[in-house]
Amino acid sequence: MLSIKNLFAQTAEDQKEILKGLSLEIKSGEIHAIMGPNGSGKSTLSKVLAGSEEYEVTDGSVTLNGQNILELEADERAAAGIFLAFQYPVEIPGVPMTTFMKTALNAVRKQRGEAELDAIGFLRLMKETCSTLGINEEMMKRSVNVGFSGGEKKRAEVLQMAMLAPKFCILDETDSGLDIDALRIVADGVNTLRSPDRSMLIITHYQRLLDYIKPDVVHVMAHGKILKTGGPELALELEANGYADYVKAA
Amino acid sequence: MSKIAVKQKQTQTDEERSWNEFIAANPASAWMQQVREKGMAAFSAQGLPTKKEERYKYTDIARFEAGRYFPYVTTPIKTTGNLTHVTPISDDAPQWVRDWADAVPPGTEQYKDMALWHAANAFLRDGIIVDVPKNTVDEAPLEIEITGDGLNGFVPRTFIRVGENAELTIIERHKGQGAYWNNRVTQIHLETGAKFRHYRIQDNSSEAIYTQNTHVTLAKDATYEACVLTTGSALSRNQIHVELQGASAAVYLSGLNLLSGTQHGDTTITIEHQAPHCHSNQLYKTIVDEKAHCVFQGKVHVHQIAQKTDGYQLSNALILSNTAIMDTKPELEIYADDVKCSHGSTTGRIDEAPLFYLRSRGLSEAQARMLLMQAFLGPVLDNIKDDATRDVFSDLAVNWLEKLTAKKGK
Repeated sequence: MLSIKNLFAQTAEDQKEILKGLSLEIKSGEIHAIMGPNGSGKSTLSKVLAGSEEYEVTDGSVTLNGQNILELEADERAAAGIFLAFQYPVEIPGVPMTTFMKTALNAVRKQRGEAELDAIGFLRLMKETCSTLGINEEMMKRSVNVGFSGGEKKRAEVLQMAMLAPKFCILDETDSGLDIDALRIVADGVNTLRSPDRSMLIITHYQRLLDYIKPDVVHVMAHGKILKTGGPELALELEANGYADYVKAA
Repeated sequence: MSKIAVKQKQTQTDEERSWNEFIAANPASAWMQQVREKGMAAFSAQGLPTKKEERYKYTDIARFEAGRYFPYVTTPIKTTGNLTHVTPISDDAPQWVRDWADAVPPGTEQYKDMALWHAANAFLRDGIIVDVPKNTVDEAPLEIEITGDGLNGFVPRTFIRVGENAELTIIERHKGQGAYWNNRVTQIHLETGAKFRHYRIQDNSSEAIYTQNTHVTLAKDATYEACVLTTGSALSRNQIHVELQGASAAVYLSGLNLLSGTQHGDTTITIEHQAPHCHSNQLYKTIVDEKAHCVFQGKVHVHQIAQKTDGYQLSNALILSNTAIMDTKPELEIYADDVKCSHGSTTGRIDEAPLFYLRSRGLSEAQARMLLMQAFLGPVLDNIKDDATRDVFSDLAVNWLEKLTAKKGK
């Protein structure tokens, strides 16, 4: 599904190289986890995949089902099926969640050649999705992420993911700022979205999240590249021994 | 100075020549003639304001050669809606109107820069008087429409008195085509407990000059709420001077300045807290694109007697191009010791973080910018308490944003 080959990326502002030859293959329906210490480039990878203009790709390739996504703008990548659940979802005062979601959904549907939803169709889908994920619809009446608790922000991300029906989801530190109950709710939401034709990349510091969202493959990342790949047991090993070996290694 | 004295000058300015013609063509009763002569004398002595004047530092009126718009023509003013308490200005105007017309313009003593008001006095003739008796609530708004058309100048004058516990709403629309100069003066007094909602839509032609002075005085417990939408004119100067004279009076001023091309839009506000427990609030949102230039000067002056004053001022501006300019000058002058006053201003571009967030969800750059700009303007629209008017303002603002987006798309 997603193929990253020898990816190099730097910050647009001061040309600081962050990704240094990263390669990754994720098959359809698989969940991969990337773990690594602070500053290893994990969040940069998620932003580069989503099309942030903060970074410039200097070498390598990224394809989604064979399509080169590096040529696409962020919104075109969303339409192609890439979804990034933000570590820090952005608060946007004055833009209601419903307006935002309806505009986003119809923009994506239009690019995918699907019919746009009218107000009634949109509200029906939103209600259904909220109910599937156990989300209070009241949240949709507020401005995007404004005044949301940490848990609400992450649940709103999962809701957006569910509605936009992506092929490939990146969850960037989704566990940060969540207590154990909120974490379970968010993880349950993500698990309902698992499907044979949807892949996920989970970026996290801690093994904890992986107790709830079971990965097929675990990678260790440091210094801008993947240093080790293994099964779920690798996460447990990291939890026990820390990242010290990897930080030194590179 | 009499009109004869003006005529005897060796060289006449355009203004003087057209004033002489105006006086000859429009004989008036003694009180009005006196206002005109005093106005012309003061205007001739000062001339149009220059950038040397403190309050015109950022706005060069002279550059727009207002003189070419003389002579004055009859003001193209139309009033509709609730006309119950409206009469035209005439020789028979009541004594209070004559007194107001003859009063020294606010700020004259301190700044000596009220030439535009003097020019309006010099050509006093057209306009309306609104006199709402006490305890009268005018449910339907009075609508004033002023439509400029081609090379001329006019002076729409308005005198508004709202009686004790009376309520009034006015919606003004300024529009037109071609080049013209609308030099407006509005004087307002609110008696005890009176409420006045004053909405202005300034959508003059892109060649027009629009200068307006509004002077508001409030007695105890009175409330003045004003909101202006500025999208029009080559040059606009929105000058408001408020005196909170009675305890617990409140003034809320807000506006949207949406400027593009080479437009110049200036908002200059003075609020004087002259009594205790009064409240003042200023909220202005600006979007400037291309080579447009916006100016916001807001001064809150708290006199020694005005304890327990609440005074807030906020100006936020979004700059969409490298050549657009925003000049902001907030001023607080406080002589009382128990007050809460604050001012803030921000000028910047559209934030990248929300832009990327929206785009990562599938919104095109244009859609994302549109949503963010609407959200930016929202707080001013929310301030408009009259639902129908809020919708009108909102539609016009969105329309402006859509035109802008379409232009960028090309």
